[in-house]
This record gives sequence, C-alpha cells and structure tokens, in this order.
Amino acid sequence: MGNSISLAGYTFVVEETKEVSGEDLGLLQEKLLQLNWGVQHPASGPMRLKVWVDGDEVVKVDPDIGYVLRLLEKLVEYRTWQNAIVNVERACFIDNFGTMTGYSIAAEKIAGVEVPKKADYVRTILCEGGRIVSHLIGLGGFIGVLGVHTPMQWALIAREKFLDAFEVYSGQRIATASIVPGGVRYEPTGKFIEKMISAVDFLEKEFIPRYTEVFIDNPTLKLRSQGIGVVPKEKAVELGLAGPALRASGVASDVRKDYPYTAYGELDFRVVTKEEGDAYARYLVIWEELIESAKIIRQAIEGLPEGEWRTKFPIKVPPGEAYVNVEWARGCFGFHLISDGGTGPYRLKMRAPSFANLWAMPEMMKNVKLADVPVIFASLYMCHGDIDR
Amino acid sequence: MLEEIREKVKSEFGLESEAYDTNMLLIECKKEQLRDLMKFLKSNGFNYPHTVSVVDYTPKGEGFQVNYILENLNDKKFVMVRVNLPEDNLSIPTVSDIFPPLQPHEREAWEMFGVEFIGNPRLEVMLLPEWAEGWFPLRKSYDFKKHRKPSKEKK
Repeated sequence: MGNSISLAGYTFVVEETKEVSGEDLGLLQEKLLQLNWGVQHPASGPMRLKVWVDGDEVVKVDPDIGYVLRLLEKLVEYRTWQNAIVNVERACFIDNFGTMTGYSIAAEKIAGVEVPKKADYVRTILCEGGRIVSHLIGLGGFIGVLGVHTPMQWALIAREKFLDAFEVYSGQRIATASIVPGGVRYEPTGKFIEKMISAVDFLEKEFIPRYTEVFIDNPTLKLRSQGIGVVPKEKAVELGLAGPALRASGVASDVRKDYPYTAYGELDFRVVTKEEGDAYARYLVIWEELIESAKIIRQAIEGLPEGEWRTKFPIKVPPGEAYVNVEWARGCFGFHLISDGGTGPYRLKMRAPSFANLWAMPEMMKNVKLADVPVIFASLYMCHGDIDR
Repeated sequence: MLEEIREKVKSEFGLESEAYDTNMLLIECKKEQLRDLMKFLKSNGFNYPHTVSVVDYTPKGEGFQVNYILENLNDKKFVMVRVNLPEDNLSIPTVSDIFPPLQPHEREAWEMFGVEFIGNPRLEVMLLPEWAEGWFPLRKSYDFKKHRKPSKEKK
C-alpha cells in the first residue's frame, strides 16, 4: 500500500527508550510520523495530503486525490455539442464561464463557425465576472487558513452582487450554462448590464478600499506568508506551475494577452506579475488581478456592440480537432477537442491548471515547517473539482 | 519561429510536420524517436509542458494516439508531438525525466487508458479508487452498464 512509510522509502528510527516519570512515551520516540491533512480538514477540501514530519519539519508530502472524480471527460462523449457545456462547466463551478468559453471556442474552430461580436463581448464580461467571483473566494480562503474568517465574509458579500447579476442574466446563480458553441445563450438585457455595473461599483467603491486598509499591508499576514514557499522564476517553469502562481514568480504568461480570444485583443489591461515568488506574492497577484478584472468589465460594457448574440451551430460537426487555451481564474485551461463527424464530441481532454499546481506542491513543501503547509496550499489557489474532473 | 523548428526537425530527425493551428505545430513521430525529439524540443525553448492527451481510435480501427503538448513561454508558440500506438502493444517510453510535470499526466493516462509509460516511476491509481485499477474507464470499449450497481427493486 502506498500509505506504508517503509514502502515509501522511510523507516522508523526508534531512539533509545526514554521514560518520563516512569512512563513509556510510545509514538514520540518514532522519528518520522505520518499525518493526514484532510479529508476532514476545514481548509483542505475534499482531498488528503499525507504529510510525513520529522519533529516540526515536513519531510515528504503526497497528495491523495480523486474524492470528487466525476469522469467529466467521459460524460462529454455521451452529450451533443450543445449539451456538453453542462459537464464542462462543472469542472469547477466557481468560475464556470471560463471553461464553457474554452470549450465553445474549440467547437467553433472545428465547425468553422464565427460568432457575432456582441457574443464575444458578453463572453468577456461573464468571464471576468467569473474571475472576480473566484478570486474573491481565493482571497478569503487564503486568510481563512491563517485563522481569520472575516475577509471570507466580506468577500462573500461582494460575490453576492455578481451572483445576482448572473441570476438576472441566466436564471441561475452558480451553474449558469450560459455560453454555448455559437455565441451566448441569452440576450444581455439592460437589467443585466445595470446589475453588473452596480456589482462592479460595490467592488470598487466599497470592498476594495476597505479590504486594502485591513488585509493587504497587514503585518501579521506578511509575517506568516512572506518568504514561505519561495519558487524562483526558472524553478516555476520547471515545476510546471500555472496561472497566478506562475505569474507571482515573474513569468508573464497570460493567455488573454499572449493568444487573445473573445474580445481581450481590443481591451486594455495589464498582466500582473511579481518577482518574489512567495506565498504573499501569489496572494497579491490574485488581489491585483481582481482590480484589473473590474476595469476590463467596465471597458467591455462600454464597448458592447449592437447586433446578434448567437449564430446557428450545426448539429453535426465535420471531423477535425482543436487545442484551445483560455485564461481561467486559476490558470490556463486547455481543451483538446476531437470530432469524428458526429453529433457530439468524440473526445475531450481537459488540461487543468490546478492539477499542474497540485503536483508541483510536494516539491515546494520539502523542509518547511508543518504550520506552513496550509499557507502554501492555499496560496497555490487550487480547486478540487478541477483537479479530479 | 515555428518554420525554423520545422526545418530543424526535418533535417535532424527526418520527420514531417504540419501546421496544427496559427501558432501550433504538429509533429508525428515514432515512439523510438520520442525521447530524442522531446530533448531536442526542450533545448529549443519548448520547456513548459501542458499535458498528455490520449485518444482512443479503436472503434475506427486505428489504435491509440498519444499527444504531448508543449509551450514555448518566451515566443508564445505551441508544438504537439503525436505518437500512434497499435492496440496490441500499448507501451511507450516515458518523458517524465525530461519534463517532470508530465509525470502525473502520464500516470493519469495510464490509469484511464492503460497506456504503459515504460520508466515512469509511479504508475499507481490516482483518481480512481484502488479497487477500480485496470478498468480503464476512458477507453471506448468501457461499458458503463456493466459496472452499474443493480438498482433496488420496487416493493
């Protein structure tokens, strides 16, 4: 079994018998101890980290995943081109727009369908809305593992406004199923735009100033996260980190800028990078991207063109394949989509950024203190639905 | 940039390649050449691996296809390396020592499709439960109904 410490290359080193007040200390005499961080830990989510510690120092970490495996890649093969979005968006429900957009672009590429400009802009607005919603939870969760739960509540208040906007748009707050191959599913009504603007207003005028004051330049937060889990630039590429974690190490890799899709080529925004590469830098990247996203939404709403928001997508798509990347909230999400000329996808491979980050983590956690394990884990900003798919 | 790689691959390995997308090159190779080709691509800037994507073409009578997708982070270009495997010999040398991030991707491909990556240090079940080892659920031949739990009969 993989759980056995001796099979994993570690042996118990039993020191000479020590007695304290005539009592045998038992476990304390073993040099290496295996701890289970999760499945029931409040910060871990549905996954388990097997952590081997020597005293207070972490020797080895091995993630045990698969608790939320739904086999989405298989389920997609049983759907039609339009229906497959319900499986694709459930890769991670927090930012569902990014995954639907990527799948739709891949399907449109194979079918040779060009979407109207208005659909591109609406997709941009929704994707950035999804990114804000996801980043808010990421920020709250990061401080949450340090034991402060106030920012999570503040973030959820701001998130609620965006969910209201999504509800006006699609009728659903979380799993919206609103972006389909061929465009977007519903007309962006004035009410939706209004709600979106009021959500961005709340974010920029209420949430950001208040949050900056308390939780950005916070000395306790810095003490816990600065210099923890440092990944230099070359190491980040070698480990295969993705998304905000990669940019926090100084690699300016952002699909929105590098391979512009939807309306990102026409909008003005900057790619947030940091040089330090520690947990605090990753936290700041998420924070600054949140501010950038709010600006992108404003620009996209201003530039929203008139016209159709959806075109016809054929029922049968000619044989072909495409590999499309989108900048999802947690990093670059790849879709390798294959059609055999049928009414649905023949095969869809989803390249998940959290999966890449997860398997870079054991290397980052070598020789850190046990108390830093949750900090590094939360700073990598992973989603479990996305790891297991 | 991609034209250069295309010519180099042609002269050094004798492999034909074609444009897959506007910024992506598709190179088809034999599994004997795979490791050398990957080393060559890594030294030419394609140092950020994305994934290993296996496609099951057995219903079409073509065996399996293993795709490696690599990105060049500086020049913003992609390359896809494609290896075709016959159905009766599903083994391929690992590239997990050249690209360490691909190790878990190979492991996933092994547990979902049964493609054996020779030399991969850790081919254990990861996402599936341990009792489901060897089911290979992403293969086209996998039968959902066979593994479905019998429903309780109504009283």
